[in-house]
Amino acid sequence: MTKRQHISASFRRLTISLLVLLFAQAAQAQLKFFSLQKDSVPVFRGFALSFDLVGAGMLSFGDYGQLEGALRVNLHDEWFPIVEAGYGKANHPTDEVTGISYRTKAPYFRIGIDKNLLKKKHGPNRLYGGLRYAFTSYKVDLDRQDFPDPVWQWDTGFGATGVACKYHWLEVVLGVDAKIFGPLHLGWSVRYKRRLAHNEGILGKTWYVPGFGIYDDSALGGTFNVIIDI
Amino acid sequence: MRKLLTMAVAALLTACSSIDCPVQTQVTTQYVICDHDGEALELTGELTVTSTRKDGSDVTLLNLVTGISAFSLPVSYSHPEDELVFCFTSNLGADTLAIDTVWVKKDDFPHFESVECSASFFHELTSVRHTHNIIDSLVILNRSVTYDQTTTHFRLVPKTDD
Repeated sequence: MTKRQHISASFRRLTISLLVLLFAQAAQAQLKFFSLQKDSVPVFRGFALSFDLVGAGMLSFGDYGQLEGALRVNLHDEWFPIVEAGYGKANHPTDEVTGISYRTKAPYFRIGIDKNLLKKKHGPNRLYGGLRYAFTSYKVDLDRQDFPDPVWQWDTGFGATGVACKYHWLEVVLGVDAKIFGPLHLGWSVRYKRRLAHNEGILGKTWYVPGFGIYDDSALGGTFNVIIDI
Repeated sequence: MRKLLTMAVAALLTACSSIDCPVQTQVTTQYVICDHDGEALELTGELTVTSTRKDGSDVTLLNLVTGISAFSLPVSYSHPEDELVFCFTSNLGADTLAIDTVWVKKDDFPHFESVECSASFFHELTSVRHTHNIIDSLVILNRSVTYDQTTTHFRLVPKTDD
């Protein structure tokens, strides 16, 4: 009985030691991920301003889009805290099939951080992985010409004006930034969007959400940025 | 890096969009026929439900159904109260006919999915009243009327001989 207790205690100690070792290694790896590389390059490396061409193109050639700019802080070419702000707009004229028109315009904001995933942190190009929290508050106008109820034939109005809505979401970002010449860079990002919370008033759903785009199954978006180091 | 930039531009240019409208777009109220204990009753006679259009003509919403214990009826998009006429024909005697009128009051809300999806209305049932020739009681079980076809909105209890 005593021998069995000894074996049990030894096994328990061994398990605990292994677990502590594993946790220590995981913590060390995490600290390494979040720490800055040790070299002679200063921590603060300046700011970068960027402007998204995809949203502007969508706004110019389609029914919806956004003008968006961002200010990024460069910490040792490794970490990049970023604030993105934009103004989203949709003006969908009367739809040929459904007869519905949709209007909204509002600012939106994102805040987050990127990490340079390349081994050579101080090179001219960067591969980013990052995260954003985004928010917008917007109002929707919805119109449709009166139409007869299909059964009773009463004229029916369908629409709402100034419906107040709110949207919160997260974006996981994977992006590339290439130096062209001097302070000028070009870059793109692919974004996976995940809605956190939303309130779309009496409508139940909205179509274009400023900054988020159209809510559908793909949940993917992208930007193509012109970036200037300042 | 330039290859990656080219790939990104190509991906953005070839991006496609899809229309995601709900498959089920009918907004109807569901009725169940029960006895006073809540046990489902099968309709032995025939039931026809009609209403009156804006121009005064009749519209048939349910036509000579029999052997059922549940049925669904449409809801007007924006009329504050729907007037429904329930005509019961008994199988026991061909001439036996009883008519009850049902008035359903509701609030109507425009429901929007997308600019590419047809306009529809959801409703909140507020009250129901009826005549008592065959219908003993008609009560609201669920007030919210949406695309959901599995929710029972009304329980109809017919009069029994005992």
